[in-house]
Amino acid sequence: MIRLALICLLCIPSLASAAEREPFDDRYCTTCHGTDGRGNEGVQAPRLAGMEPWYLKRQLENYRDGIRGAHPDDIEGLAMQPMASGLTDESIQDIIEWVGGWNYVPAEHTISGDLDAGRTLYQPCATCHGADAEGNEALGAPALAGQNDWYMVTQLRNFLAGYRGVHPQDVYGAQMRAMTTGLNGENDINNVVAYINSLSD
Amino acid sequence: MVKPVSRREFLNLLAAAGGAGAVVKAGAALGIMPAEAAASTLDLAAGNGRSAVILGGGISGLATAYELGKAGWDCTVLEASHRCGGRIFTVRHGTLIDELGNRQYCEFDDEPHMYFNAGAARIPNTHRTLLGYCKKLGVELEIFINENKTCWVQDDAMLGGKPVRNIEYTTHLRGFVAEMMAKAMHETDMDEPFTEEEAGTLLGMIRSFGDLSEDDVYRGSLNAGFDSGGFLNQGAQKDIIAFRDLLKTPFAMRLLSTNEGETGPILLQPRGGMDQITEGFLRQVGDRVSYRAMVASIQVRDDGVEVAYDQDGARRQIRADYCFNCIPTHLVTGLDHNFPADYVRALKHVLRGEAYKAAFQAKERFWEKQDIYGGISWMNNRSQQIWYPVAGIHRRKGVILAAYDYGGGMYHTRMTQQERVEAHLADGEKVHANYRDLVEKPATVGWHRMNHMLGCSARWRRSFREGWTGETEQHYRTLQAPVNGRHYMIGDQISMRSAWMESALLSAHWAMADLDRRLRNAPA
Repeated sequence: MIRLALICLLCIPSLASAAEREPFDDRYCTTCHGTDGRGNEGVQAPRLAGMEPWYLKRQLENYRDGIRGAHPDDIEGLAMQPMASGLTDESIQDIIEWVGGWNYVPAEHTISGDLDAGRTLYQPCATCHGADAEGNEALGAPALAGQNDWYMVTQLRNFLAGYRGVHPQDVYGAQMRAMTTGLNGENDINNVVAYINSLSD
Repeated sequence: MVKPVSRREFLNLLAAAGGAGAVVKAGAALGIMPAEAAASTLDLAAGNGRSAVILGGGISGLATAYELGKAGWDCTVLEASHRCGGRIFTVRHGTLIDELGNRQYCEFDDEPHMYFNAGAARIPNTHRTLLGYCKKLGVELEIFINENKTCWVQDDAMLGGKPVRNIEYTTHLRGFVAEMMAKAMHETDMDEPFTEEEAGTLLGMIRSFGDLSEDDVYRGSLNAGFDSGGFLNQGAQKDIIAFRDLLKTPFAMRLLSTNEGETGPILLQPRGGMDQITEGFLRQVGDRVSYRAMVASIQVRDDGVEVAYDQDGARRQIRADYCFNCIPTHLVTGLDHNFPADYVRALKHVLRGEAYKAAFQAKERFWEKQDIYGGISWMNNRSQQIWYPVAGIHRRKGVILAAYDYGGGMYHTRMTQQERVEAHLADGEKVHANYRDLVEKPATVGWHRMNHMLGCSARWRRSFREGWTGETEQHYRTLQAPVNGRHYMIGDQISMRSAWMESALLSAHWAMADLDRRLRNAPA
C-alpha cells in the first residue's frame, strides 16, 4: 500500500486547501514503466520488476540528488529526474516495497548480435556483474540478465559518451564508465548486450 | 539594390504553382484530404446484446461508446485518469494538470470565459464529422479567430526587436514581392505563354496583390493601416518598412500562409472550452465510463477480449466480445498483451509528439487597448505565439496563451515550472511592455509528461521531407486492421493526419464500420 508520505510528496505547499481539489494519484511509476514495471520500449522506460532493492534505492537517490539524469544529453535520464526530485527517504522506501510486489516476467529480446564476440567483451563485465549477469550487491553491481536490452544499449552509450558516470559523487558510475572504454562503437555494444540476452534464455 | 526576377525564374515559379495543384489532386485521390461533401455517419446493425470494452475516454473512445450504445451494444469505457477527453483538455479554475513531476492546480478566476484549451483548440469548418457531433450533442459553437492582422510580429533580428503589426509586415512584404513580379513582366516578352488579355489580368492581379502605384512601384499602402486620421480627416499612410528589414526575419517565409490550409478560416470553438465536446458525449454515455481504471493487460481470444485493469488498489478483470482501444501506442507497448509480432512492430514505429502549451491569466485585457480582439502574435523565440481570447471580449480579465511549441516542445518541457514561466515572461515582454506586471497565475502543459498520455499527437513520419514512406503506410494499415477480428486500435493516432479530432472520429467510424460489415456478412 502506498503511504501518506508518498501521497503528500508533491503537494505544492502554497496550494493548501486540498480538500475540495481533484485528488491525484502518486502511484504513477507504471505510467512510464509499464504494467507491473515490466519496462516500456515505447517511452524508453526500463524494467523495474525484479530490480534489486539496493540498486533501485541508489538510483532513485542519485536521480533525486541530481547525480544521475542531469546531463543535458541524457534524454531518458532527464525525463526521470523530475519524477524523483521530490522524493523523501521514506517515499523511496515505499516505492521499493511497491516494486518488490510486482510479478517479474522475462524481458522480450529485441537485439541480436555476434554471441562469440559478445562473450569475449563480457569477460571484464563478469568480474562485477557475475558470469551469469546475476549481479553482485557487495560490489554494487546490478543484475543485467532479464533487463530490457534496448535500455542496456542506451546506458552503455550514455556511459561511453559521458552522459552518465561523470558526476563527482557517482562513484559506481565512474567505475562503470571506466569499464565501458573497452567497448569500441555500436557493434561492440550490440554484441555484448546480445550475449547478456543469451544468459537469460 | 533589388535584383529583378528573370523570365525563366518567373516561369519556373508558375510551373511550381502548377505542380502544387497536381499534388492537391493526388492527395484527394489518396484519401488524405476530406473530399466528401458530407459528414461520416454510421448505420450499424443492432447489437443484439454484444459487448464492447473501450480503452480510453478520448473522443474516439467516447464516440465509439455513443454509436455502439445507440445500436444496442453493452459498452464499458475504461479511463485511466480522473477525466475523459485525453488531449481535449480545458484548463480553468481548479483544474488538476496532472503532469508528472510538475503537478499543478489552475488558479484562474472562477468565471466562464477564463479558460485555456491546452490541447485541441481549433475546429476547421471542413471537419464535418466533428461539427456534426457538436450539432447532435448540443455543443454550442462560436467562431475562433486564428489570424488577426492587428496582432504583432516580433523578431530580435528585425528593426532592433521592435514589434510591428502583422498587417504592416505582410502588406509591405506583398508590395515588394508584387513590384518584383511586375518588373519581371515588363522586362520580358509576355506573348508566350499568355495572350495579351491573360497578361493584362495577371498584371492586374499582381498590382492588386501588392497595392502598387500606377508605375508598378511599391510606395506603401493604406492597407497597412492609417498612421493618423482616416475618419474626419484624410488618413495618413504609415511609413514603409524597408524590404531588407522585412527579410531579416524568417517570418517572411511563413506569415502569408498562416491563414491557409487547415488553420484557414473558418475555424470554430465550443463556447466555454473545448471540453464541452467531451461533456456533450458524457451526457449520452457518462454512465458507461469507469474512471481511474488503468489497463494492465489485453488478451485477445477467439471469442472475445479479456482486459485486466488496476482500480482502487485492486486488479480487476473485464471480458467483452470486442475491444476498441485509443490508448496511445507508446503506452500500449508497456502493457501485458498477446498481440502478433507485426502489430507490436507497428506500435513501436509510432513516435510520440512533444507539443507544449502555456497560459497566463491577464489582470486586464491589455491587448484590447491595442485594438486586438482574438488572433495570434508571432514571436521568433521559443515561446513562439501569444493567443488572445475570443471569449470575454471587453470584460476585465482574460486568459491568454503564452507559448505554443508545436514541434520541439521538449525545450520548455525539460524546464522547471519557474524556468518555464520566466522564459514566457521574458519572451512576451518583447511584444507587450509591462507584460510581466500584467499577467499572473501561469498554467503550463508539457504533453510529453502528462500522466496516462506521455505525448502529444502521434508521429508516423520519420521526417517532414521523407513523408509517408511505403513502410510507414504498411505499419499504419497493420494497426488499423483488427487483431483476430476482435481488437481495434482507434484514435487520431490511427490516421494519416494525427492531432485532429476529426481524424479521431473518422478512425473510430472506420473501425465500427469494418466490424459492422464483418458481422453482417458472417454466417448466422
